[in-house]
Amino acid sequence: MATDTRVILICSGKGGVGKTTLTANLGISLARQGLTTAVLDADFGLRNLDLLLGLENRIVYTAQEVLEEECRLDQALVKHKQESNLSLLPAGNPRMLDWLKPDDMKRIVKMLKEQFNYVLIDCPAGVEDGFKNAMAASQEAIVVTNPEVSAVRDADRVIGLLNTNAIKPVQLVLNRVRPKMMANQEMLSIEDVTDILALPLLGLVLEDEQVIVSTNRGEPLTLNSVNSPAAKCYLNIAKRLQGEDIPLIDPIEESSGFGSKFRRLMQTKIF
Amino acid sequence: MNSQTQKIIINIEDSKYISWESCLRNKLKNLKSSNIEIDCKNLDLSCRGISELISIANQFNCKVISFCSTSSKTIVSSQSLGYKSQFIIENNSNEILKINEKNLTFSKTNFHQGTVRSGEYLESPGDLLILGDVNPGAKVSAEGNIIIWGRLLGIAHAGSKGNSKATISALQLRPVQLRIAKKVARGPKEKPQLGLAEQARIDSEEIIISPMEST
Repeated sequence: MATDTRVILICSGKGGVGKTTLTANLGISLARQGLTTAVLDADFGLRNLDLLLGLENRIVYTAQEVLEEECRLDQALVKHKQESNLSLLPAGNPRMLDWLKPDDMKRIVKMLKEQFNYVLIDCPAGVEDGFKNAMAASQEAIVVTNPEVSAVRDADRVIGLLNTNAIKPVQLVLNRVRPKMMANQEMLSIEDVTDILALPLLGLVLEDEQVIVSTNRGEPLTLNSVNSPAAKCYLNIAKRLQGEDIPLIDPIEESSGFGSKFRRLMQTKIF
Repeated sequence: MNSQTQKIIINIEDSKYISWESCLRNKLKNLKSSNIEIDCKNLDLSCRGISELISIANQFNCKVISFCSTSSKTIVSSQSLGYKSQFIIENNSNEILKINEKNLTFSKTNFHQGTVRSGEYLESPGDLLILGDVNPGAKVSAEGNIIIWGRLLGIAHAGSKGNSKATISALQLRPVQLRIAKKVARGPKEKPQLGLAEQARIDSEEIIISPMEST
């Protein structure tokens, strides 16, 4: 039985920035390090964590049935095909939109905490009830954002809400970083984002077309394609979460060759 | 049903009670079901604390209408949960300070430490001093002056009750919008010089920004 379970909320405010992809890949990476991990899909209105993990056809029960004592927890947990340390628990059925209350969420997470080292909660977009439910049960949080003004603005709002609810630490993952665009100052720089949000940066994830391929296949990148740049980033984030000291990828080095030329330009701000 | 609003004061400095919860329960006990306003005094409450407070009140069939407190944390939490709340400046008589243009120099400064984030709203009946940034999407307003020891990237409104002598100062003044008394101005397009504190004030019916004067 795990006593020091970490319950981590993965949220962003804005939709489509990569919460679910991060949850799936982080789940796989942690499981690969031998840690028992549960991923809880709190975004049950529009659930697709099961799709990303390729487990859609194995779901029989959800947390709702567990709470109503129609089944046991281990019946509802869906074990991953290849990574047996990883289990998925869908919070509910897309048709039952308003059954979940913050207290229900706390009860589910309490049950999961008895079995797992890590509980990752995939939060729905927005700051309404779905977010509040997911937040109620979490201890710490990872805020995912893109280097775009709207995503950063929404992340800022979410961080404010997390702070007033005494959730800490809150760490930042900057997703879909395009090194070339950053170097050309067409995209917010890392400093622009961290300046506004004032959070420790847990990691960068580079833009990678392989992410789309893996999503459609239902096999998270971290599962087998170690050569993809995004997969490397996800692995690093998982290691840093464990307390390992791994330096951040320098996006300018990644944008092959232009490095030194644009380094000076990066110092100047976009907004 | 009693439609009148009753006020409940939670005072933790009163040694009769072990915690604010027990203080609240005790006071609710003597109350018939009604709408209540809660004065949290200097109690710091998070959103969790506020929701707990609401659920205790509901157990006693009371409906919480609004909050007032001298703690900015409590005010921010209750506002973010959608409750009407009023910030009270602590003074000896524990009354809400009424400030007019004449005695502005005697008004107390309300102090906030930390970043004011998007969607948050800080309001002060006196001056407002912020140690930290005001991010885009956030709004701060004061009946007196606003001083920001950090960057102003959001909206600031000084002299919100009509004091046109109020000023807005920041280490980096890059607001979306500036308001002083009834004047509104868009923030400057060009970036300010780094390392130069600036001040906005009304000069001949217009809001102008100039380097901060040392007075």
